[in-house]
Amino acid sequence: MRVFLRRIGIYAFTAWVTVTVNFILPRLMPGNPIEQLIGKLQGRVTPQEIEAIKLQYGQGLNQPIVVQYYHYLDQLVHGNLGVSISAGGPVSGILSSHVWYTIGLIGVSAMVSFLIGTALGVIFGWTRGSRADSLIPVATFLQSTPYYFLGLVFVMIFASRLHWFPLMGAYAPGLTPGFHWDFISSALRYGQLPLLSIVLSSLAGWLLGMRNMMVTIIGEDFVLMAVAKGLPRRRVIWHAARNAVLPSIANLALTIGLLVSGSLLVEQAFNYPGVGILLLNAVGNLDYPLLQGIFLLITFTVLSANFLADTLYYVLDPRTRTAKAH
Amino acid sequence: MTTHDHVLDVKNFSVNYGFGPSSVRAVTDVSFTLGTSRVLGVAGESGSGKSTLVYGLTRLLRAPGVITGGDVTFYVPEGDAARPFDVLAASEQDLRTIRWSHISIVLQSALSALNPLRRIGREFDEVLRTHEKAMSKSQRAQRSVELLELVGLDADRLDRFPHELSGGQRQRVMIAMALALTPELVIMDEPTTALDVVTQREIVSELYELRKKLGFAMIFITHDLSLLVELADEIMVMYAGHIVERAPAVELYRSPRHPYTLGLMNSFPPLHGERHEMTGIPGSPPDLKALPTGCPFHPRCPNAMDICRQQVPPLSSIDESSRLVACWLHEPSVGATVPVELSKKSGSSAGVGQ
Amino acid sequence: MRSLQLPKSPKVIVGLVLLGIFVVLTIIGPWIAPYNPNAVNFIPNLTPSWQHWLGTTLLGQDVLSQLLVGCRETMVVGFIAGIAATIISVVVGLAAGYIGGRTDEGLSLLSNVFLAIPGLPLLIVINSYLPSGEQANPLIIGLVISLTGWAWGARVLRAQTMSLRERDFVEAARIIGESRWRIMFSEIGPNLLPILAASLLFTILYSVGVFTTLAFLGLTSLSTWNWGTMLYWAQTNNAALANEWWWVAPPGIAIALVGTSLALINFGIDEFINPRLRAGGMTARQRRKVGVARRPRLGFTPVRRDAGLVASRRATEGGAR
Repeated sequence: MRVFLRRIGIYAFTAWVTVTVNFILPRLMPGNPIEQLIGKLQGRVTPQEIEAIKLQYGQGLNQPIVVQYYHYLDQLVHGNLGVSISAGGPVSGILSSHVWYTIGLIGVSAMVSFLIGTALGVIFGWTRGSRADSLIPVATFLQSTPYYFLGLVFVMIFASRLHWFPLMGAYAPGLTPGFHWDFISSALRYGQLPLLSIVLSSLAGWLLGMRNMMVTIIGEDFVLMAVAKGLPRRRVIWHAARNAVLPSIANLALTIGLLVSGSLLVEQAFNYPGVGILLLNAVGNLDYPLLQGIFLLITFTVLSANFLADTLYYVLDPRTRTAKAH
Repeated sequence: MTTHDHVLDVKNFSVNYGFGPSSVRAVTDVSFTLGTSRVLGVAGESGSGKSTLVYGLTRLLRAPGVITGGDVTFYVPEGDAARPFDVLAASEQDLRTIRWSHISIVLQSALSALNPLRRIGREFDEVLRTHEKAMSKSQRAQRSVELLELVGLDADRLDRFPHELSGGQRQRVMIAMALALTPELVIMDEPTTALDVVTQREIVSELYELRKKLGFAMIFITHDLSLLVELADEIMVMYAGHIVERAPAVELYRSPRHPYTLGLMNSFPPLHGERHEMTGIPGSPPDLKALPTGCPFHPRCPNAMDICRQQVPPLSSIDESSRLVACWLHEPSVGATVPVELSKKSGSSAGVGQ
Repeated sequence: MRSLQLPKSPKVIVGLVLLGIFVVLTIIGPWIAPYNPNAVNFIPNLTPSWQHWLGTTLLGQDVLSQLLVGCRETMVVGFIAGIAATIISVVVGLAAGYIGGRTDEGLSLLSNVFLAIPGLPLLIVINSYLPSGEQANPLIIGLVISLTGWAWGARVLRAQTMSLRERDFVEAARIIGESRWRIMFSEIGPNLLPILAASLLFTILYSVGVFTTLAFLGLTSLSTWNWGTMLYWAQTNNAALANEWWWVAPPGIAIALVGTSLALINFGIDEFINPRLRAGGMTARQRRKVGVARRPRLGFTPVRRDAGLVASRRATEGGAR
């Protein structure tokens, strides 16, 4: 239990660090980015908006930094992420209209690639030495391919040659978003290629990791015991797989981070209107409020996913529950 | 003995590692018979082929092991008689019918011999559920408790995970699990090697009592001959995949005939008794890929003669008894003088076995 | 120290050869490039031909030259960032694993934080705050990459150090009175080499990936060439939609190949660390040659009565010495 509480503590601490980093960065960078930004924006936005930005970043105010920090945290807790410069409107509003596409894409692709990759890894690990082994270099190649590159390749293949999938956007133009079947089915259709790009590239990683672990675990005595006990083959594989999957879950932190980052880029390749596109536009426009908001959103999502993964690991591996440190 | 009294018949059993020209002979032409409720000890250094032999017999040998010859017949009791079961010709399905219900194994008590993710109780439950379809859940639970009592463990151990038990407790759990279906044959692969000396003795004497009570036959693999003296009826000493000596336990201990056996015995001081100088065996076990010519032991043998370097000694009986030795020293045709330590009289032949 | 064995596995050899090719290209790339990658005086959008092996871009530039020249920046930044990150992870991991106690707690907390915060968004954010002159400086980018990529290696090395710490030879050194730092670096250090090598390769892979990704997003200097920048230009000119595969494919495949070579070498290291992963039995092709039908199954040792003949003949004839 202590171990569990420690993990919660670490995540809380990390969340706090993230928030603070977000606060400190613009104030820390050489060359004072805020002044540069304000300089760039002269004439493009109203003076009130400039005042708002200054307020948000504590420019031109002689408030001590601690007070500014307090204001910042206060705003954050109330869900106020500031006002977007490029889009003109509250950041939280903009985010909420785009976030669902990304969550859908990432959520589904993560689950699909984990399940398929792990299952294939079990098969490859168990049937080691068979003809399937020649597919391993292919999997290695796929794993090293950047997600967005696969996205581009798919766009090429399906743009010019085969017109099976829609190429851009999240739903057919002309439809209005909402909970009706027209929209949902369109969204599903449009999501297929981005999903495929992410899944193909990340699946290989799961596959290879799981396969190596299966091979290691199969060499352990308890698997031989399971066979010696006369258990049916399925049960033996199940026992081995359950043990072999643990490191994959332990590594979920890293993998989820990579998956999220990669997905953002796939959105770029497909012009899929999720958070990824927002992020890139924000960077291009130096829209700091939006940028910060997205950063916080992404980081908190990844942290939550990691937390869930940690909990899952804690539940699955009884060895973590004794007080012994790892 | 009538066929009914045997549990295992092994004839000319051989095992290789690998296929084709680069393969290595790990076990050569081993034959023996194991009677019901008898204990066979298999002794030798690491690499002697003892584990390969025993795992091969049950076809649990991992790749790249290949069985290259021989016959292995296990006798499955059916009412008053016994049905012979050809292990080498059996299919996977057939093997599953005799595994654990008739032949079980106990491995070293390393943490990895038990599934680290499962509670002990679940392991027992699974084994019982797989083989005894008729038992209900509560019956299985009851039986698990009984089995733990057999080995002197509390019922609360059933709720524990393997890493929560001590080495000795884990070993007892493995023994209890091996006896769950009252098999006719239990194979023990160095079950006490990872334990401290005191626990070793405890477990060995517990095994002795269990065998008397339940009547299973045992094959006990070890490199420590002293453990086998009290427990085994017969001991087989192996070197480089060959049997070099086979004799009833007490006779072997009192009057070893093969120089390797003598060396093995001198490597382990007994817990009690007088102290004497430790000699051990010079050199190291041979590389199976490049076995010496003739007798595989000759490079390390203090009594090596010319013929030992040239020809492999046959395994032949001596003293017109059931003892077997593969050594030119004891072949009458060679006419060698047998050194004193290898020609002691064995004492009365009554009391052989237990 | 175990002696170095030359890798026998074909996977590793392919990986090393592939990596070697790219290292060579890094050095001689700009020399052997047929044209100036910036030159726009060629006919645009040509498919591969004898004058332009990989065709030309929308702007009339030679793709092959861009690829060859771009190799250097991609590889150099990736490798340096990877090596820098690994150095940090060694120091942190060794110290945390060996010294333990408060040091360990503090360093572990630090690595956990860095590990949990996703690298790319953080990099994008940090990058956007940099003054525009500095933004595209590959050195700064490399530095920032290494600051976000060390946590993984540190965790792995810490775990390994902790298990090595308990071993006898370390205890012996402690008793003799060796200083802490000496123990860390000359006793434990050498035994960490295999894991360190694997971690280094993985980190380099990560750095190359992140750097090319940032370049793809247009966040690195657009006046120098690297593979990610090539993809940036391709994307902003909608090359994928126009199916200009000779422009889109080469840089991406090059990135993938570098990654693959690193991963293959890592396989070899994995097999060295973990003997169970070594090819214990035979491959399918070898089995077919010898005439064995199926791969051996666990718990079903095969019986081949003819397979023993060769070996037994050798034994009776008196050994192979």
